[in-house]
Amino acid sequence: MSTVDMRVRVGALELRNPVMTASGTFGSGREYADFVDLSRLGAVVTKGVSFEPWAGNPSPRIVETPSGMLNSIGLQNPGVEAFCAGDLPWLAQRDVPVIVNVVGHRADEYAAVAERLDSEQAVHALEVNISCPNVDAGGMAFGTTCPAAADVVRSVRAVTSKTLIVKLSPNVTDVTEIARAVEAEGADAVSLINTLLGMVIDTRTFKPVLPRGVGGLSGPAVRPVAVRMVWQVAQAVSIPVIGMGGITCANDAAEFMLAGASAVAVGTANFIDPTTTVGVAEGLERFCAARGIGRVTDLVGAAWKKQ
Amino acid sequence: MCTEVPTPAIEPVVVVSNERVAEGVSRIVLDAPRTAGAVEPGQFVHLRISRHADFILRRPFSVHRARDGRIEILYQVVGLGTRALEDAVRDDVMDVIGPLGHGWRVPDGTKRALVVAGGLGAAPMGMLVERLAERGIEVTLAQGAPSAGRLLARELFDNLCSRAIVATDDGSAGLCGFVTVLSAEQLGRDRPDVVYVCGPEPMQRIVADQCAGAGVPCQVSLERLMGCGIGACLSCVVTTRNGLKRACVDGPVFDAADVVWDADGGQEGGR
Ligand SMILES: Cc1cc2nc3c(=O)[nH]c(=O)nc-3n(C[C@H](O)[C@H](O)[C@H](O)COP(=O)(O)OP(=O)(O)OC[C@H]3O[C@@H](n4cnc5c(N)ncnc54)[C@H](O)[C@@H]3O)c2cc1C
Ligand SMILES: Cc1cc2nc3c(=O)[nH]c(=O)nc-3n(C[C@H](O)[C@H](O)[C@H](O)COP(=O)(O)O)c2cc1C
Ligand code: FES
Repeated sequence: MSTVDMRVRVGALELRNPVMTASGTFGSGREYADFVDLSRLGAVVTKGVSFEPWAGNPSPRIVETPSGMLNSIGLQNPGVEAFCAGDLPWLAQRDVPVIVNVVGHRADEYAAVAERLDSEQAVHALEVNISCPNVDAGGMAFGTTCPAAADVVRSVRAVTSKTLIVKLSPNVTDVTEIARAVEAEGADAVSLINTLLGMVIDTRTFKPVLPRGVGGLSGPAVRPVAVRMVWQVAQAVSIPVIGMGGITCANDAAEFMLAGASAVAVGTANFIDPTTTVGVAEGLERFCAARGIGRVTDLVGAAWKKQ
Repeated sequence: MCTEVPTPAIEPVVVVSNERVAEGVSRIVLDAPRTAGAVEPGQFVHLRISRHADFILRRPFSVHRARDGRIEILYQVVGLGTRALEDAVRDDVMDVIGPLGHGWRVPDGTKRALVVAGGLGAAPMGMLVERLAERGIEVTLAQGAPSAGRLLARELFDNLCSRAIVATDDGSAGLCGFVTVLSAEQLGRDRPDVVYVCGPEPMQRIVADQCAGAGVPCQVSLERLMGCGIGACLSCVVTTRNGLKRACVDGPVFDAADVVWDADGGQEGGR
């Protein structure tokens, strides 16, 4: 038996270990229940939830790229009421903290979702997604300028007392500016990275493969970019950072924590192996034990902190 | 009437054989006792072909046949993944998630079935024809391919179907023309109780329209690019009269009458 203390804190939330699911890659958790004992995860982060139902984008919605993929799902979801009536009661029965990813076209839509969820006991935290590259209005548009990001976070902060995580876009010149702006508006944590804007062109048809042209790049291909951004943001803010982007194993997760992440999330790797999350959680414990590290939090920022 | 859905699982599989069976098409046999024992006709597996390539996603393949703890897949080489699959040799280890999806349904009281397969659309028809024959249902198969050398699973179909008729684009076997000519004739001749279709999406749509015109229930097996394969990522949506459905869990087999063709962009080419 290992004696590594795997607990981490994100805002008011205590997680039994640092490993969460990345929004949009794990459904509501229900889809993975045949493969993963959810109670062994730090938290389940749901797919994006909007106020009204959203239909998402036309097909094809994904295309594979070297060591990664582009997606253009477009945040298809049944809306917050259907979420509260369907997936949420199911999740409430599982022994795992639930973090709901919140999306909107306008600041008041984000706030409306947050307000609706504020009264739900089963929701432990909100992750405000100001970084989705796959919708025309809203999404990433909020995450790429400081005033817009601040505006959404202010609106949401005003209506919720739950732990508020803000998910940042990597498609910016200086991610630390945005991180500081949302911290100043009362965010309890930031998560990064969302997907990188990308494109694949079909050389037979001379047209982009995805109907919207662009899509979001994820998977192992983005990991070095994500680690660099976590490194920068963790040194720029004093709130916890949740790191993600291409994590496939415990070693990858450790890399993010050494860069300054207090917790990590596994996304695309769930498609490769649906048991990845649990494997990363167990592996991270072994990683610490093998090095005589007593608390997983000792890893956080160790790559740059002065001893 | 509904097929029971066994719980999917990850199963390590071992390659038993991998060989060309027609022009551009190979058959790989995998030792996969759990999946072979649980799979229903029309279901598929999500295959992780290689662990050390720069392509990361699994690839979905219909289970053509399942027996003696083994599953057979018929596949066409079209890209990175299927090229890697072609290189697999005996004793190579891969893994599958399966069995996945909702397969073909056999309505109560079915006596006569028409199976329409275009090209690789023959792949999900192997287990189906076996199941129908087992139940004493009279099966007519209408099969199409570009040429005689690309007609798949001839022996199996000839043995189990009461009639097997073919069409080729170049006339090298059977009718010179599209399989949809055969399906139209068959629907007019002895009216089947149900029609099963798989092949390129435009062809499936034509047969679905013929069936709607004839008032015969029709099931189609639709292909979409898939990420997770288990209902989580919404990569694989199909537009139906009841909203967006996921091909990986709600399909791949749909009642043709529910499908809103083309609305979601579909899959260019199909198989
Ligand atoms: C439920 C289901 C069952 C399937 N069963 C079979 C089967 O039994 N035998 C078989 O040969 N194939 C089957 N397919 C299609 C098979 O999954 C694809 O051919 C395969 O994923 C291609 O992988 P690749 O890496 O070789 O091609 P890629 O390099 O990924 O793509 C090469 C080209 O093929 C196209 N393509 C890729 N996937 C598909 C797809 N799903 N449909 C249409 N075009 C595609 C791409 O757009 C691209 O132009 C099935 C698909 C689904 C969804
Ligand atoms: C298919 C797919 C859907 C996604 N949907 C969402 C979403 O709804 N909300 C969100 O904040 N991020 C979404 N993301 C981004 C992921 O949560 C994650 O930030 C990103 O993919 C990087 O991590 P990864 O490389 O481990 O996948 C999605 C990613 C993928 C691949
Ligand atoms: S492939 Fe992920 S939902 Fe169907």
